[in-house]
Amino acid sequence: MSAQTISGSLDEYDDNKDMCPICKTDRYLSPDLKFLVNPECYHKICENCVDRIFSLGPAQCPYKGCDKILRKNKFKTQVFDDVGVEKEVDIRKRVFNVFNKTIDDFNGNLDEFNKYLEDVEDIVYNLDHGVDVEKTEERLRTYEELNKQLILNNIERSKKDVENFSQRQQFEKEMKLKKKLLERQIEEEDRFNKEWAKKEIVNRLMTSSGGDTMDVIEGVKNTVKLKKSSARRKLEDLNRVLKNNPYFVANNMGQKNHIKSSIPYTPFNGDRDLHQRFEVDETKYNDPLVQELEKRKDYIASGFRTDFIYERVLTEAFMGLGCVISEERT
Amino acid sequence: MSESNYTKEKKVGEGTYAVVYLGKQLSSGNNIAVKEIKTSEFKDGLDMSAIREVKYLQELNHPNVINLIDIFMAYDNLNLVLEFLPTDLEVVIKDKNILFTPADIKSWLLMTLRGVYHVHRNFILHRDLKPNNLLISPDGLIKVADFGLARAVPGPREMLTSNVVTRWYRAPELLFGAKHYTYAVDVWSIGVIFAELMLRIPYLPGQDDMNQMEVTFRALGTPTDKQWPEVSSFPGYNKLQIYPPPSRDELRKRFIAATESALTLMENMLMMNPHTRWDTTQCLESEYFKELPTPSDPAQINILSQKA
Repeated sequence: MSAQTISGSLDEYDDNKDMCPICKTDRYLSPDLKFLVNPECYHKICENCVDRIFSLGPAQCPYKGCDKILRKNKFKTQVFDDVGVEKEVDIRKRVFNVFNKTIDDFNGNLDEFNKYLEDVEDIVYNLDHGVDVEKTEERLRTYEELNKQLILNNIERSKKDVENFSQRQQFEKEMKLKKKLLERQIEEEDRFNKEWAKKEIVNRLMTSSGGDTMDVIEGVKNTVKLKKSSARRKLEDLNRVLKNNPYFVANNMGQKNHIKSSIPYTPFNGDRDLHQRFEVDETKYNDPLVQELEKRKDYIASGFRTDFIYERVLTEAFMGLGCVISEERT
Repeated sequence: MSESNYTKEKKVGEGTYAVVYLGKQLSSGNNIAVKEIKTSEFKDGLDMSAIREVKYLQELNHPNVINLIDIFMAYDNLNLVLEFLPTDLEVVIKDKNILFTPADIKSWLLMTLRGVYHVHRNFILHRDLKPNNLLISPDGLIKVADFGLARAVPGPREMLTSNVVTRWYRAPELLFGAKHYTYAVDVWSIGVIFAELMLRIPYLPGQDDMNQMEVTFRALGTPTDKQWPEVSSFPGYNKLQIYPPPSRDELRKRFIAATESALTLMENMLMMNPHTRWDTTQCLESEYFKELPTPSDPAQINILSQKA
């Protein structure tokens, strides 16, 4: 069945998306209306009609001009709106169940693997567009016969991969949960500490007669700081575990090796002068003109910095020293 | 230094003071862009931005800054010959058909920072950084362009105008009308661009200058004298709605895909106080660029082919 005839015969029926073209039941009146399609011709028929027409055994498709014989057990719900897409996905599923080699089966030879993928795509295209269907089906069958063992092995392997992945996800989920718990704990502790510190300061100020207020407050704040760090350490540990996630490492071995072989990261791409001919030491300069500005409100608020000034003046003073133009030219 | 070496083949854009043509350099066959500045229409001489562009681009030579190849006069018009750059970051962000990865964002940010680091190193403020001015070369390199608002860092007593930078990318000190700002204004713009790359929508889209303050502070907290000494001395600092700065968790929720070090870098680029805002050196040395994934190879970032 080619794509053209599908769309051609559909045109007569496509006037209403929510109506069964056979019994004319409307979704508006019966909201639980469900449509099924059969991979033989992909004509959309409602569930009731399927029961009615195909319960007694195989029968002809009720669409006008479609002579396919359909069986009830082959009917399925349509996933994609577009029948063409639905059909291609079904074909792909069928072909990939048989042609399930991975790059490992080619010992990592990319060219051969690509050629194999190209072949598979050809088969999918032929089946989808109705080109040499007979021949292609034959090819599919012979391949299946010849490679039975390999196909089974690969199915086994992909199952394992899926399992591995779900295990890893499980692990990460647990870790994240733990992290969240710890974070909440830290938050609570923080709140508690704050309140404790408030009370403690008041208490100490009440009991200590005439001591330095600032000292008391500082003292209490320091104790709180010490307390904080112990709770945070746990979280840091957990973060480290997450970073060194065993599953993650195992899955990224290939990538890691790749990185090692490339150039390490250099922030400035090697283009940075680290050997300046001067050192900026603001304490040694006496420049009332600039130093006065440092105290003006509008300068402070704008982000004005004296070291920018000194740095620039010094750079310009030393610029070009030790550079011989005649040498640079050649 | 003459017009005979270049052809103008196609008009690709027209601004207020210039027309841009695509063309070829006849001696090498390379693609180039010619920016023809309409001098004849300005009775009082050349437009300010043209002078700035020529002045600063002549000084700068860096892989991540647009290259000014030549200048010539023809029919009383000034022509700048620039390297040919087919697209820019704004186009890439807006085109929903283009997919890019965190590694691509890292690569772009890295190249932008390198370019701006070079500009700052030469004591120049760009003052108009935005995705639209970050052009992309055929081999994927980011080029900082449009130096029409650039100027050299002023002497200590000179005043600067605060009416610079496209509104959405304007740093808070500019919103307040600062007259003695520094390189930090450019870093802020890059921070906003970084956020925009991750969100794929403008991060702080103010409708007008007042609204820009509102939007900025709602997203990042209203600055107070405590974290930014003397901020209240700005004439623009009054009747402000006080918003609390966002917690790390709120940022995490806003930038779902960002890693912790990406958020740290962004937070420090979008620091309210220009004193504590990171400079380009600190940004380039940040943990974000060292962690995985490594920045993409610029030539490998696919931004054109998916368009069709």
